Amino acid sequence: MTVAIIDYGSGNLHSAAKAFERAARESGASQPITVTSDPGVVRNADRVVLPGVGAFADCRRGLDQVPGMVAALSEAVRRRGRPFLGICVGMQLMAERGREYAVTDGLGWIAGEVCRIAPEDPGLKIPHMGWNTLDVHRPHPLLDGIPLGPQGLHAYFVHSYHLRAEDPADLLAVSDYGGPITALVGRDNYAGTQFHPEKSQKLGLALIANFLKWKP
Amino acid sequence: MILFPAIDLKDGVCVRLEQGDMKRATVFNRDAAAQALGFEAEGFEYLHLVDLDGAFAGRPVNAHAIERILESVPLPVQLGGGIRDMATIAAWLEKGVDRVIIGTAAVRDPELVKQAAHDWPDRIAVGLDARDGRVAVQGWAETSDLSVLEIARRFEDAGVAAIIHTDISRDGLLKGLNLDATIALADAVTIPVIASGGLASLDDIRRLLEPRAKKLAGAIAGRALYDGQLNAGEALRLIRAARAQ
Repeated sequence: MTVAIIDYGSGNLHSAAKAFERAARESGASQPITVTSDPGVVRNADRVVLPGVGAFADCRRGLDQVPGMVAALSEAVRRRGRPFLGICVGMQLMAERGREYAVTDGLGWIAGEVCRIAPEDPGLKIPHMGWNTLDVHRPHPLLDGIPLGPQGLHAYFVHSYHLRAEDPADLLAVSDYGGPITALVGRDNYAGTQFHPEKSQKLGLALIANFLKWKP
Repeated sequence: MILFPAIDLKDGVCVRLEQGDMKRATVFNRDAAAQALGFEAEGFEYLHLVDLDGAFAGRPVNAHAIERILESVPLPVQLGGGIRDMATIAAWLEKGVDRVIIGTAAVRDPELVKQAAHDWPDRIAVGLDARDGRVAVQGWAETSDLSVLEIARRFEDAGVAAIIHTDISRDGLLKGLNLDATIALADAVTIPVIASGGLASLDDIRRLLEPRAKKLAGAIAGRALYDGQLNAGEALRLIRAARAQ
């Protein structure tokens, strides 16, 4: 039973791996967490995690540059139905396309585009960087048992773009930053967080623990 | 208002100094990552790390301890101490440090700071550490002729995420924060300002939550947390209550 965190040259792999290991330990899960750039490992993993920081186009290029990785992802997640979690740009890559700098194709797993956030309040700076609460639109196993809403736990964000989901059924949670911004998306056996669970303290560890138990 | 607990590293362990004097160091925890985990458990949201040896050497010295903290704690981290060139800045930001704090280079190489702030929007903070209003550099070993305000103004519109303003004379001595000077700085620039040096008790927290301090983005707490003069739970409760309003 392995959890594969994909190493394609982007994302805080070490922090992510440690957070997953800790969540696994604290919740009594025993799945080994592997950081890997080997598409074979990803293809055969039981759960897949795609981190990502930086520009959408750069991350897409990085992913494409690992021979066989995109195919391995499609096989594991879309064909075999393994639970998948995208983090930050790793979540954004699930979109049909991203509009940061150039228009770049995403994996096309979630209908919608990644575009720049545009807070109504001009005093709010881009990137959206800091702690924010989540407003849940649809319940999801990833959010089980986590106190959310305006009085709930906070998640840590740092981003300038967000995934505008076309299908409201895919939009699981938003945060308010001069208007709603997409915080969590999901469909079938794949989901993604705009925020960084590996930096989001209690909320983050609880979400990761839920991911490790998730049976889509 | 964010309260940042500080972890200062000397010889790989977690210490507190008095007025930045390396000869007046008290070791509070031999395991810096454990200290960080402790802060996380208390509910702090953002860690402030200083590589003291790095500040004197002009390059990272306590990289191992810093990396252990980054791996262990699911919290954002800001790091300063000896970060003086683009390669070092990029390396730390790529390793998962959320914000690097540049001190000496802000005085000696402002173009570096501006370029870094441009390349890494909101990931670069400037540390202005002052003795009588004059900025000190290189681990506070040298005092420049330049005032805090002069240096701060250089970075207006450069995309610097924050200025951390430390009153050296109060640092490590629980004399209370120098709010007057810090608020004056916050009034003079649009960059968010964080107060540091001397935070002693819950009274400092209350003063930080008063209307006149509203402009301040936060404060660093060091010795008061280690000595037990400041109860983390009470401090964070006060801050959360103020946010909820």
